[in-house]
Amino acid sequence: MSTSTTAVPEELKDTVTLSNLDHVIEFLSRFLDPVANLARSNSVWPLTFGTSCCAIEMMHVGMSKFDISRFGSEVFRATPRQADLIITAGTITRKMAPALITLYEQLPEPKYVIAMGACTVTGGMFNDSYSVVQGVDRIIPVDVYLPGCPPRPDGILDALLKLQQKIRTETYRDRRKKAYKQTAVLYVDYDTGRPVDDLVAEVKSETETVLAESVGNANPTQ
Amino acid sequence: MKDDEVNKPAEQTAEATVPLTEGVYGKLLKENGIASTPLPESIGIETLEVQASAVPAAMKFLREQAKLNFLVAVSGVDSPDTFDSVYHLWSFSKLDELVVKVRVPKSSLPADKLPEVPSLSNYWQTADWHERETYDLIGIRYIGHRYLRRILNPWDWEGHPLRRDYKQPVDALNDKHPVSMR
Repeated sequence: MSTSTTAVPEELKDTVTLSNLDHVIEFLSRFLDPVANLARSNSVWPLTFGTSCCAIEMMHVGMSKFDISRFGSEVFRATPRQADLIITAGTITRKMAPALITLYEQLPEPKYVIAMGACTVTGGMFNDSYSVVQGVDRIIPVDVYLPGCPPRPDGILDALLKLQQKIRTETYRDRRKKAYKQTAVLYVDYDTGRPVDDLVAEVKSETETVLAESVGNANPTQ
Repeated sequence: MKDDEVNKPAEQTAEATVPLTEGVYGKLLKENGIASTPLPESIGIETLEVQASAVPAAMKFLREQAKLNFLVAVSGVDSPDTFDSVYHLWSFSKLDELVVKVRVPKSSLPADKLPEVPSLSNYWQTADWHERETYDLIGIRYIGHRYLRRILNPWDWEGHPLRRDYKQPVDALNDKHPVSMR
């Protein structure tokens, strides 16, 4: 949805533009939010994301004894494009962190994260490790923290219920404010390891300063 | 075998005073011209030390003649004065095991040079990834490995984490949380 601040041309003022639709939807969302949120919260589909031991408990919660599909998570989608929840079940190492960030950015809005297990909440038993990310909230935003090592399947269901409660009480406007520019793939320069956007911005600012200097040299002021 | 461990500190680890059960594989190797020194370190399992240059011949002999045909693991140790490359062997036909160590003294290495041991990856395929793990974590370079690169850490990691003098780099991903109790 565009949030453009440019003036609308004269000849288009009598048509409905996208920014007008924005306002209409925001107005309607006051009435549609409760219904839509109830519908969304009762069908949260997680992504199959399990890196280590917590994944076993996540499998338990998908099986028949602690059935997660009776709470709406009918299927665990294998592709992030069709999921709206990541349950980070398992230790996230520094080697895995870029993959998790890519997956999170590939989820379409509105998306949620349940940090499951001690390793993803604060680094867990790998507190002093050289290779474990001390808590997944350092790399992606987390909605519900679920401690345990591993948490029982009942605990995962409790976290899912808390998340459903959170979904039911949120508004469209706040959600849109939190949504950031989706970059599904972050291009990183191979030699320096820095994002290409940063390098491009650096080069641009350098050229600007060089041009400003050359203009200054060409037209010396008294 | 129990009284061997009791006697060990009292006598030297010379092959003449080692009883037969302790030195079976040592004797077999000596008969084929490969020098080895018994070590008292494993829990009742015969342990030998061989020189790095003798590793390919010794392993070939142990696999074919001594029927120790299963390489259980290749691991590394950062001892106070040596880097060890440890091979655990098991025999399915005789249900017997052996531990072979290759010790490279740290004093023989110039600074920042990795100890070099011949690779077994062309002989036993298990050794392929085990040697990559040992290279990644302890930093023993295996000569003859087809593609020795890091396996557990990211490909551009610096340093060998399981060494005694490894200082982990602390950045925004693994620094101490402000309210942490550590």
